Amino acid sequence: MTAATADLELLSITKNFNSFVAVDSVNLKVGRGEFVAIMGPSGCGKTTLLRILAGLETASSGQLYISGKDVSDVPVNLRSTRLVWQNYALFPHLDVGGNIAFGLTLKPYDKAVVAGKVKAMAELVGLSDFMGRKISQLSGGQKQRVALARALVTEPEILLLDEPLSALDAHLRIRMQGELRRIQRQLGMAFIYVTHNQVEAFSMADRVVVMNKGRIEQIDAPEEMYARPKTEFVARFVGTNNLFTGRIQEIGHDRVIVHCAHGQVVVMTDDPPPVGASVFVVVQADKLTPAPIGLAGENRLDATLRGREYAGSHNIYLLDLVDGTEVKMTMPQILPVEINRPVTAWFSPQNAALIRGAA
Amino acid sequence: MRGNPWIFAGRLWLGLAYAFMFLPLVVLVLFSFQKNRFPGFPLQGWTLQWYDKLFSDGTLLNALGNTMIVSPAAATIATAIAFFAAYAFNRFAFRGKTAFLALVTLPILIPPLILGVGFLGLLARIHLSGTLFAVFLTHVVLITAPALAIIQLRLSQMPVSLEEAAWDLGATEWQTVKKVVLPFALPGIFGAWLLAFTFSFDEFIIAWFVSGFQPTLPVAIYSVLVAAIDPSLNAIGTIVFGISCLVLIGLELVLLPLLLGKSENQS
Amino acid sequence: MSSIDEAPPSRRMRTPNDSPLKVWFLAPLGLWLILLFLLPLLFLLWIGFWRVENFQAIPDFSLSNYTDIFASFFSKSRYGLAMIQSLWVAITTAFFATILSYMVALSIAFAVPARWQRLALLLAIAPFWSSYVLRLYAWQTILSRNGVINSIMRLVGLSDYRIDIIYTQIATRIGLIHYLAPILIVILYVSILAIDRVLIEAARELGCTRWQAFTRVVLPLSRFGLMTAGSFAVIVSLGDALSGNLLGGGAGTSIIGKLPTYASMIMSDYSSSTNLPRTSALATILIAVMVLALAVGFVLADRARRRIG
Repeated sequence: MTAATADLELLSITKNFNSFVAVDSVNLKVGRGEFVAIMGPSGCGKTTLLRILAGLETASSGQLYISGKDVSDVPVNLRSTRLVWQNYALFPHLDVGGNIAFGLTLKPYDKAVVAGKVKAMAELVGLSDFMGRKISQLSGGQKQRVALARALVTEPEILLLDEPLSALDAHLRIRMQGELRRIQRQLGMAFIYVTHNQVEAFSMADRVVVMNKGRIEQIDAPEEMYARPKTEFVARFVGTNNLFTGRIQEIGHDRVIVHCAHGQVVVMTDDPPPVGASVFVVVQADKLTPAPIGLAGENRLDATLRGREYAGSHNIYLLDLVDGTEVKMTMPQILPVEINRPVTAWFSPQNAALIRGAA
Repeated sequence: MRGNPWIFAGRLWLGLAYAFMFLPLVVLVLFSFQKNRFPGFPLQGWTLQWYDKLFSDGTLLNALGNTMIVSPAAATIATAIAFFAAYAFNRFAFRGKTAFLALVTLPILIPPLILGVGFLGLLARIHLSGTLFAVFLTHVVLITAPALAIIQLRLSQMPVSLEEAAWDLGATEWQTVKKVVLPFALPGIFGAWLLAFTFSFDEFIIAWFVSGFQPTLPVAIYSVLVAAIDPSLNAIGTIVFGISCLVLIGLELVLLPLLLGKSENQS
Repeated sequence: MSSIDEAPPSRRMRTPNDSPLKVWFLAPLGLWLILLFLLPLLFLLWIGFWRVENFQAIPDFSLSNYTDIFASFFSKSRYGLAMIQSLWVAITTAFFATILSYMVALSIAFAVPARWQRLALLLAIAPFWSSYVLRLYAWQTILSRNGVINSIMRLVGLSDYRIDIIYTQIATRIGLIHYLAPILIVILYVSILAIDRVLIEAARELGCTRWQAFTRVVLPLSRFGLMTAGSFAVIVSLGDALSGNLLGGGAGTSIIGKLPTYASMIMSDYSSSTNLPRTSALATILIAVMVLALAVGFVLADRARRRIG
């Protein structure tokens, strides 16, 4: 994607609060109609980044382009972005209709035009029957719809959402996820969605951005991010992964042998690091399966069963390897092994990923 | 808690306190309708003669008129100044903010007697003393601080994101103040105005120094009072008491929920 | 790396804190305060050094007002004695007003069911909103020799006993307490409300009697509120002339003697002489005394707060 077709482009955006670096030279391109989720632990700078896009904070350095125009110095009220707040930030003195119409009433539009747009938008988000309600009479989900409609009715180029579903209960959250996705597709508008909720990010977004300490760790499609984390942080943050530290021992034509503390591990890869390089081997917990004791072959993990957690649809087994490394294995079946008895786990070389470690 | 002697003692004391607090008001209203030349018992029968005297004499009514010009005007200007300042104090961080806030509070801490002498000195110098306008100017100084405190209390309950949302939707700062902050602050503004009005309405000593031949009501009452006991004072007192009751009801609806931190329209 | 590293020079941009409204919105208040508060106050200090010739105040820098005042401070013009009278009346008034108001605040907080407390507080402060001058007038009719109380006593056959406190400083104090009580009750009620009820329950659980729970938990924790209320009461009482004039009769008797309070004296001094320079000098002295009183109050309150923290 180039800057010409990108809806939004961030060039080396940095934000300092005195000596604290909240956002550290972030580069990001978002295409037209793309749904991008920004994810990370609290304090990683994702909300600050969103506020910079909205114009509520100003970057200490760097540039911001929207539809090819440099908007770095454009004040918040003249930007073509709209923000949806976590706490909705609805105007308590206006009713639902008044809230939705707010942005339009600031411009010299004809009253009938405003009414028409508000009505259409209310229909889109399913609020037609609530136009005269007071904000204090709405449920959380309805407030969320009002906040969405209020932003969308002004026809922004990009919609920014700051953990918009975090105040809703689980059931409603899943319904709203689907609806947000539907509305986004229908309007063909770029959505940038900040969340700390991995499930939310992965189930809605076209691409996921993982941030840590103000920096972007990885930008990828959800499946790719899940299957092939590129950094140790992402591997630990995303999903339930097992990490083994080791060094490249040998390089084959499509695979490498990694020497780890507990033994050798074989990993399939097209892009092997040089021999001797320090790496992490990442194996998802559900890719581990028990192997009969004594079975010869690669990627055997001789371990002791330390505990079992029952999580409804599946069981989580905690294993200790011979060198003390803790490993998680999940599977639906019950493992016929008692606690503190030996168990051997196994994974396929295709199901492991390599991350280059620190040199 | 049944049978706790302290509760009984507390309620008894509260009853005594109410009796003490309301005694003067009861006496005032009662004797404004009694024939007694000097308030006392036995009662000599009901009458409206003191109201007649009040309305035919006109001195006190004139003064009430003066006050009803000065106090609403002073309360309005003070509330407007206080609203803008409260907004700025609430939103901005700047050097010397604490000192500025301390300066605003100072006029309430300095006894009005001293302020009165000071105002008189300055206003006489610029030939403004002895006018209602002088009373207006000085009352604004006195009542801005309480108005500011009330409005600040209200604005501190406003989530920052509310203003940001308005900017984000395309409102200029001024549009935001007008369309979002002002409506939000309205209960506070209303309470602040009533409080400011009451303070100005009741203020005596500054007005005594600077009002000259256009006395406000408390000054006029005082000059009647030092001359003789006049039951028309009971009559005007009852009228003033009526006005206070209206203010009080207004304040009960607005101010106490603010002070005791029970805000109902928080979203 | 890429061309991104040739970053544009960092620039200063607008932030929400950086807005022209900051100046515009604070300017009216600032101007008003400077022109109509600081300026008069400075003027007051300055006029104290003017002199009076042929009933005209002449700008000057002379100490004659102060030497006049202090030359006769404790003798014929009784300025100093009035100040002592004022301090005596103010401190005793503040003492009683604070204790009595504290008892009211305690009663509201602990002896009134929670849902009635707001109403109880509202009733207690209601008289504050009616005119002070009128309330003093009402007290005059209540306390005077043939007033409401004495006429009732006569009516019930107790004519041998009559209260004779009008035009004494006791009457002055009654007027002041009536004026101060609503404000003090609010201050003290809020400070009692701030005390965590769990602490009191914990004390009771540990075997304290109700009285012990009060003296060991509630009282120490409301000490700061008491100090605040007390110093506020002292300042207001020192600056008030009305109660002294109307109920104390100008120069009311107290155990110190038949002397006016300092504030009453400033008022009567000005209305009889219209000597603004001398009045200003007298007011300046009052400011000095109050700053001193405030400083003492502040130190005491601070010490009380530290004992809590």
